[in-house]
Amino acid sequence: MIKLAHNELIVLLLSISTMLIISRIFSELGKRFKLPVVMGELIVGIVLGPTILGMLYPDIFNYLFPRTGNIPIALDGIFSLSVIMLLFVAGMEVQLSLVLKQGKVAVYTSVFSMIIPFFTGFAVAWFFPEIFSIPDEKGPKLIFSLFFGTALSISALPVIARILMDMNLFKTNIGMVIIASAMFNDLLGWLIFSFVLSLTSTNSGEHLSLWYTIAYIIGFGLFMLTIGKKIIDKSLPWMQTKLSWPGGVLSISLGICLLSAAFTEAINIHAILGAFIAGIAFGDSVHLREQAREIIHQFVTNFFAPLFFVSIGLKVNFIENFDLPIVLIVLVLAFVGKVVGATLGARLGGMSKNHSLAVGFGMNARGAMEIILGTLALNAGLISKPIFVALVIMALVTSLTSGPLMKKFID
Amino acid sequence: MDLSKLKKRPSYPFETIAVAISFSPRCQPVLAEAKRLSDVLGSSLLLLHIGEKTAQKEQELDEMMATIGVNPNQSRVIWMEGDPVDTILKLCKLNIVDLLILGALEKENILKFYLGSIARNISRKAKCSVLLLINPSNEPQKVKKIVVNGVANPKTIHTINTALYLAKNLGVKDLTIVNEVDISGLVMAISDNSTAPQTKEIKKNFAEESEETLQTIIDKCDVGEVKVTDKSIKGKPGYAISKFAKDKKADLLVINSPDTHLNVFDRIFTHDIEYVLADLPCNLLIVHSRV
Repeated sequence: MIKLAHNELIVLLLSISTMLIISRIFSELGKRFKLPVVMGELIVGIVLGPTILGMLYPDIFNYLFPRTGNIPIALDGIFSLSVIMLLFVAGMEVQLSLVLKQGKVAVYTSVFSMIIPFFTGFAVAWFFPEIFSIPDEKGPKLIFSLFFGTALSISALPVIARILMDMNLFKTNIGMVIIASAMFNDLLGWLIFSFVLSLTSTNSGEHLSLWYTIAYIIGFGLFMLTIGKKIIDKSLPWMQTKLSWPGGVLSISLGICLLSAAFTEAINIHAILGAFIAGIAFGDSVHLREQAREIIHQFVTNFFAPLFFVSIGLKVNFIENFDLPIVLIVLVLAFVGKVVGATLGARLGGMSKNHSLAVGFGMNARGAMEIILGTLALNAGLISKPIFVALVIMALVTSLTSGPLMKKFID
Repeated sequence: MDLSKLKKRPSYPFETIAVAISFSPRCQPVLAEAKRLSDVLGSSLLLLHIGEKTAQKEQELDEMMATIGVNPNQSRVIWMEGDPVDTILKLCKLNIVDLLILGALEKENILKFYLGSIARNISRKAKCSVLLLINPSNEPQKVKKIVVNGVANPKTIHTINTALYLAKNLGVKDLTIVNEVDISGLVMAISDNSTAPQTKEIKKNFAEESEETLQTIIDKCDVGEVKVTDKSIKGKPGYAISKFAKDKKADLLVINSPDTHLNVFDRIFTHDIEYVLADLPCNLLIVHSRV
């Protein structure tokens, strides 16, 4: 078994502690200016990565984050675990019952806020692949178009929840419609994205046929959200009373998350889908105590999330890969698709013009979810670095503008 | 069908009470409970049987009515064939029924629950209030404790007033209005961006806001002599109140009618009333306020 050498272990621990401590400092500073935590973490990545530290002090950068040896492998393992955990927590926030409870307006809003940005993104990528430097061949063009459509249609539930809470709209009708629609968007978005990711590996001739992949995704989702959910629901009271508290439920929930992630990875659907669906099955249970939910959230969002978001800046040089035309195109498409789609859906669902617009801008926040999606696509070789940078910028701009723009249409 | 008389009809008093007759072993106790309630409330009683009218069934019903003491002059029996759920709902509309009484099992088997039993399907669709009796008895049973939902919904005030109307007529001393505070969504909003005092403050404000909303509703209700207590509990709406009613050993749980048309998906991704219907904690009154 390959082991980390004494020095390598020291460097690994140093790099992790640097990422955690500095990102916390930046996030706390950002909080004073009402900036999202993820922004602070990304900035730290840019500062510690090739963009700044690598350029100014290459020796320190190469010492802390070496590109050869065992350390990058160990870090990659931690980052992969981080994204799985992040998706598990994202799944825990999805309550499909809320969509059903909100009825027609939530269904219309979620469907339109998904369909319109998806087809906007798909059409632009399909008809103008040269903008994104995609070869005009059917295979790569289709995969990229599917990805780009999905990237524009996803929402960032935690950012939206925070904005609504700050605006005192969390438990209002408008707030519930936004939350329910964003949940449904997330579910569909991650299902489609998993499918797109599995297409990339199918293309390389590794695994299953297209129809098997679709059947597996649907089958796995249905199983976990019905029978799996029922089993978890029945066993949670036992876990929470008979096992050590809160250790028992923590170990088992995270264990099931990883098991589910391993299963989906094994059947050629990305591990994130397994984690996300396991999160839904766990989070939707009435028996999951609030304290357990809070501990899982705190653990993931304060340990794994900073590591993951800082790692993004370590991988990409944001200055070198900043391409203004692409950034502007992505921004315009993201705003138009999502705001028009969600507004139209809310209007058709029976909301007033102003409230529909507020829903439109509320749903526009992409936040951390978009960045996770972009990173996975970059790792899978689906997108280039300039497109990734444009997606990150779009995620930040939409998250920052969502609240103020929403405010204009409330009251 | 002229439904104009149904529109905006208040949820109480219960002028007409209907009871579904099935000739099952629980039929007589259900009828006995309906008869007692109609006597107390001064309501007219309507007996509905969906199925073939035979001489044997007619005789059986006459005997049952005589045993219980149902006065044939103050009640009507309707026999009709057809789909039980649709026919009962149609008859309730046609006869301006205010309350429909049905016998129900505490818990259905899993297949029946997802497919929907007659009693539960009627509860989901009815345009009048529905009382589901899980332990009907031939002998009078005193109703001691009533639990009512206090969720922020325009229907709630009518539900509470209906519960108070019943409490006054049945001499109930203990009526608890329960406000369910669902804080599950809060965790994601505050998990990475709030200090401990901020989190505490947010949760406190959340609880206080819901308590204020409930108090505003209670202030508008005609409480009279009934001793009303209000209670805020954390948990998912529907599940939390059901558990509370069970723990409190309530005799009757009173809740709002569903806001949307419920189908099998609402049972798979359970929410609100479906949690209650999945495992009835006690007798259940679903108030249809027609607002």
